Amino acid sequence: MRTAEDPAASIGARRLLVLFFLGLVVFLYAPIAVLAVFSFNDGDVAFPLQGFTLHWYRDALTNPVLLGALRRSVVVATASSVVAVALGVLAATALVRRRFAGKPIVSALVFSPLVVPYLVFGISLLVIFTAVDKVLTETMGVYIGLGLHAIVIGHVVVSLPYTVLTIMPLLERLSRSLDEAARDLGADAWQTFRRVTLPLLMPAVVSSFLIAFTLSFDEYAIASFLSGTEPTWPVYLFAQLRVPSLLPQLVAISSIVLVASVVLVVSAEVGRRVAERRYGAPAVGA
Amino acid sequence: MAGTVARGGPPRTRAERWGTLGLLSGPLAWLVLFFVLPVGFVAAYSFGVVRIFPTDGGPSLEDWERFLLGRSIYMGLFWKSVAMSFTVSAVVVLLAYPVGYYLALCVRKRKYVLLLLIIAPFLTSFLLRVLAWKVILGDRGVVNSLLYWLHLRPPGDPIPWLLYSQFTVMLVLAYVWVPFVALPIFASLDSLDRSLLEAAGDLGAGRWRTFLRVTLPLSLPGVTAAFVFVFVPTIGEFVTPQLVGGTAGYMYGNAINDLFTKGLDWQAGSVLAMFLLLVVVVLMMIFGRWVQVRSVAA
Repeated sequence: MRTAEDPAASIGARRLLVLFFLGLVVFLYAPIAVLAVFSFNDGDVAFPLQGFTLHWYRDALTNPVLLGALRRSVVVATASSVVAVALGVLAATALVRRRFAGKPIVSALVFSPLVVPYLVFGISLLVIFTAVDKVLTETMGVYIGLGLHAIVIGHVVVSLPYTVLTIMPLLERLSRSLDEAARDLGADAWQTFRRVTLPLLMPAVVSSFLIAFTLSFDEYAIASFLSGTEPTWPVYLFAQLRVPSLLPQLVAISSIVLVASVVLVVSAEVGRRVAERRYGAPAVGA
Repeated sequence: MAGTVARGGPPRTRAERWGTLGLLSGPLAWLVLFFVLPVGFVAAYSFGVVRIFPTDGGPSLEDWERFLLGRSIYMGLFWKSVAMSFTVSAVVVLLAYPVGYYLALCVRKRKYVLLLLIIAPFLTSFLLRVLAWKVILGDRGVVNSLLYWLHLRPPGDPIPWLLYSQFTVMLVLAYVWVPFVALPIFASLDSLDRSLLEAAGDLGAGRWRTFLRVTLPLSLPGVTAAFVFVFVPTIGEFVTPQLVGGTAGYMYGNAINDLFTKGLDWQAGSVLAMFLLLVVVVLMMIFGRWVQVRSVAA
């Protein structure tokens, strides 16, 4: 820097900014930390602290209703993210690699779930499921009802833009000449995709899966309208908040979920960066 | 695309067109069937064009009229929610701006690690972060019990506005959204051409003047994006008010939720929901050009 002073901030201003930054970090982490501390407290979630215990964790991990809700969330998140990733790969390939009429409309449609409030989307699915069931029971005596399948359908819709957004950048960087080489060597479209494109896309596929999984696992608004008699973890958590005696258990299990999700997200991100550096780089540029 | 064009001739062979259709049919079918159709159905339902229950009225504009002309409580509730989410968005931007500024312009090493530190909470459970505040601010919660314990307040006499107030809803919403807006603000400041700041300095502008005339205007797209990112999802918010809002913090989204889940009036609920959707779509059309879709996934 040629000038003696930093044009961005003086020493005094810089100190203030550091303080502000630290203050915000405390504001962001203190509530989560408090929750974690009280999960080990041998008493209610209130001061004074009573001493260290693990029995809330033991209670939570042996509570069948709670574990059932967690299991349902794992099922819903797995199913919806597998579908969302599959559809995301298809949509991203079409948007990046193909020319077709109406591309702006297709792209707007794919990304539109990002702006529609989950509340509005959730009630829309509730209304359509009710209406369809009404017709089906009257005409054929069939009843679909709400439940995990309905939540999966909704979560795929809201996850799709994220999976497409995660896959598109890598697809843009992958050289088309690799595909063309495979085709020239006699591979058909499916073989090219299966043996060339997909392996190269793997880092983005894995990270989009994890993004979709975390989104679905944590999603409450849509699930609350569609769960019927099968509450997923967030729906169960929300419903149980009114029962004070359960609070320490919920706090304990939430701490586990929190740590697991942080580990998952961070490792996904690290994995993606590493993989991109290793495999993505040589293929960059078309 | 440039490659295929350079080789001459349009790439649209019959096979390729079918291939594109094959790629798009799955995602489009899913979105039309499970997204466009349900939302369209609710829109039609709000006008009484389709009926579900025997009690539903026929085609009429009555529900829309009653709502839009303010003959029901819901229009007032809508403006209350607008005011609340406007305040939240402004506060969040004011909180995130100095942090974005510090990380983008004052930190040289490890700025992305520090940025991740701010963003990380957003990657954890939304419900959990709201729950944390409920536990902290409750009548027998962490703050009040600490005050009793330290004899700063007589036991059984909690601070009344701590939970179940508009203030709490806004505090928790701000808490939830700060990490998210730090990103667009940081990005706009980080991409700022540093030599412009030096030039302003060389031309005799003080730091404060440089900030007001150069840095701030150039970062406004990021600020606008951040504001919209918070404003749009918070007008339709109903989970946070339900947990920490009580009756004072009741928002427009809660009215929609109640009209549906408590089975009061689905048709009126559809009107409210479609109006919310309309507002959000209009906002995105106005501000969309500042909001890069891709920055969401950055």
